[in-house]
Amino acid sequence: MTKATRDISALQAAAVLVSTIIGVGVLPLPLFAVRAADTGGPLVTLLACICALVGLMFVALLGMRFPDESIIQYSERLIGKWPARAVGLCVIVFFALLTSLTAREFGEVVVTSVLKQTPVEVTVIVMLMLAAISARNTMTTFAYIHFFYVPLLLVPGLLIVALSLKNAEPLNLQPIWGNRPGGMFDGIVTIAALFQGSFVLTIVIPAMRKPAKALVVSLYSILIAGGLYVVIVIAVVSVFGAEETRELLWPTLELAKATSLPANVLERLDGAFLAVWVTAVFTTLLSSYYLTSQSLTQLLRLQEPRIFTFFLVPFVFVIAMVPANIVKMYEAVVNVGRIGLMLTIAYPGLLLLIAVLRKKGGSALGR
Amino acid sequence: MDDNGPRSLKRAARLAARLCPPLLAAALLCGCWDRTEIEDRAIVLGVSIDKARPEEEGEEDPVTHYVKGLGPPASDLIRVGVQIALPGRIPLGPGESGGGSGGNDPQKTVWVLDVVGHSVNDALMNLQQELSAKLFFGHLRVIVISEEMARFGLENVNDYFHRNPEVRRMAWMMVAKGEALALMKASPKLERVPSLYLMTTLDEGIRMGKFPQDYIGIFWSRKSKLGQEGFLPYVELRKNQTLQTQGLALFQGSRMVGATMPLDIAVYMALKGNNPGGYSAFVKVRGTEVMTHVTHRESKTSFEIRNGKPYFKFKAAFELNLEEKINNELNIQDPSVIRDIEESQKKGAVKLIESFLEKTQALGSDVLGLGEYVRAKAPGYWNRNVGTKERWQRMYKEIEYEVHIDMKIRRIGMKAE
Repeated sequence: MTKATRDISALQAAAVLVSTIIGVGVLPLPLFAVRAADTGGPLVTLLACICALVGLMFVALLGMRFPDESIIQYSERLIGKWPARAVGLCVIVFFALLTSLTAREFGEVVVTSVLKQTPVEVTVIVMLMLAAISARNTMTTFAYIHFFYVPLLLVPGLLIVALSLKNAEPLNLQPIWGNRPGGMFDGIVTIAALFQGSFVLTIVIPAMRKPAKALVVSLYSILIAGGLYVVIVIAVVSVFGAEETRELLWPTLELAKATSLPANVLERLDGAFLAVWVTAVFTTLLSSYYLTSQSLTQLLRLQEPRIFTFFLVPFVFVIAMVPANIVKMYEAVVNVGRIGLMLTIAYPGLLLLIAVLRKKGGSALGR
Repeated sequence: MDDNGPRSLKRAARLAARLCPPLLAAALLCGCWDRTEIEDRAIVLGVSIDKARPEEEGEEDPVTHYVKGLGPPASDLIRVGVQIALPGRIPLGPGESGGGSGGNDPQKTVWVLDVVGHSVNDALMNLQQELSAKLFFGHLRVIVISEEMARFGLENVNDYFHRNPEVRRMAWMMVAKGEALALMKASPKLERVPSLYLMTTLDEGIRMGKFPQDYIGIFWSRKSKLGQEGFLPYVELRKNQTLQTQGLALFQGSRMVGATMPLDIAVYMALKGNNPGGYSAFVKVRGTEVMTHVTHRESKTSFEIRNGKPYFKFKAAFELNLEEKINNELNIQDPSVIRDIEESQKKGAVKLIESFLEKTQALGSDVLGLGEYVRAKAPGYWNRNVGTKERWQRMYKEIEYEVHIDMKIRRIGMKAE
């Protein structure tokens, strides 16, 4: 295997994770949270963050033990060649699915709220082509792209939250565990699934200057991205109330619509918010697409990492067009996400356990 | 390899040069699916919704349903009026006389149309069928509902405007005494666009303390809550083409159940602690009257469970200015007179608050959102005894409360006594 250049700093790695996590899921996020436990939505989101953090830490710890390899490669040494390849294929298929669902969800939002005449296929394919072209870059450029966009995602997101809080009512957030917290577990799983793009860490670590920092990186990135998620849910629930949030398909977009810049500079911020959100979707899409194509080359032990970038577009596009309508699509998003947790949390956890028991892999700290 | 290099490079360059024109043409010549010229848009500024008589069904065009019986029953018939901005007639700056011949006449800057339909969308589709430009709701500012329609129920109206992504949550919805279409046709002199006048009346009302914030989005949020009901401004078109806020239109779910007096708006705002204070009231003192103006309010609502029922305590503090005396009998310089005025107004306020609460209790319309306090602060009690909106509507009728008021006169104007 060719040795990759190791020039990604911890800060860049964190930027990759943050901008990957913040993606298409921000729009329906408060709806998922409120469906789980009405006013307990923020708590559900927080617990989901912790759940996602655990999964990401498994990946980081594995990466620190095998600092030169990605999960596709070291899993073969841990659980044997063929079982590892089978699961590896599942991971690749899952991320291909995730990419297509992200693209489709993006297309649905755009066709509903902004470009009503434009066919959804066009929006989806443009976005996929953009991801495919950008995925031809090296890991260094990939990290730069993310690093460049992170401030563009965080600042407007926080600004909208801050501006909307003037209409907030604290009563809407009480009781903090919710009146009917029955669906809490389901909600945690659904929301934790929105963090799955962070699995890209497994291919970032081999390019990191100091892989030993992977654990700190994962902690900070969940803190930032998860923090933004929690803050968004708090803002939406406190402004609209849990019951009204339940009636909105994209509560975060509605929040932007209800928020105005002071002095009536802009009376509704949904246009500005969507512009930012396109960037957020692009970075998420790029990561999952990059992860899919890179992992596929690694699984097939090919030398040229860019070989699959365009090859995958038609497949991903066709899968994206499968759900018949928006309700079916969200059903797919939720179900695929939940199954994916097996691959992005349980599988790395299992691998880590085996690695510890079999004393495989060195410690990155010793390097 | 050596000869091959430059040649293949040259070939690549030639290919690029050949590809350039079609690519450029593709980029520059193709249009955008969602391109709309501003002239092709019918910008809707205001919408009115009235109940139509079943006999008027004949007037309706079967645009969305031509088989009899496929549409909803004729009893649901509504008349939707829209106020469309005329492109080029809307004056853009304060100094402009308004392009074209429109001048300053409000009715010449807009076009008011009305159609009949079975639902909001049905009516708008009927309208679209006879209109060349596409209706655009991105600038919709005012939705006027007739009282009859509001009492019939707003489920369909709420659903349509909630679902439509163009509508802003900052638009106003109001209930009109009498015909709603009349408000669309009104031509007030202060504002050059009639709908904007309706909107400004309420927006300025917020600033003057005449009305609480109650945009359509806020109404929807309140209506959805389990322990709260929504309310809308209850307005009437007066003879000099102005809009008078007559009180609160009280709702139960999506149905209007009653209306309050104008001074009840002040009571609502006082109990909510909304500022600034905007209302003045007569105060009887020592056999004569003075008028005071509320400048600042503060309030606190707390509750406890007493005998298995929520028991509410309202505490409110007011700051007042003395505004006028009816005659010369009182000496304001006397501190005891001021104390008497405060005392008398306190009694009056308690009476007003009690009558307001009684009225909303009788109608089962908890516009203050007292149920939300119970749901938020005593979730165990709520889950055991209430749980649903309907059960809270019943329980609200039975709750008990006490009111504590503090009145302080701070200023008396420029006259010494």
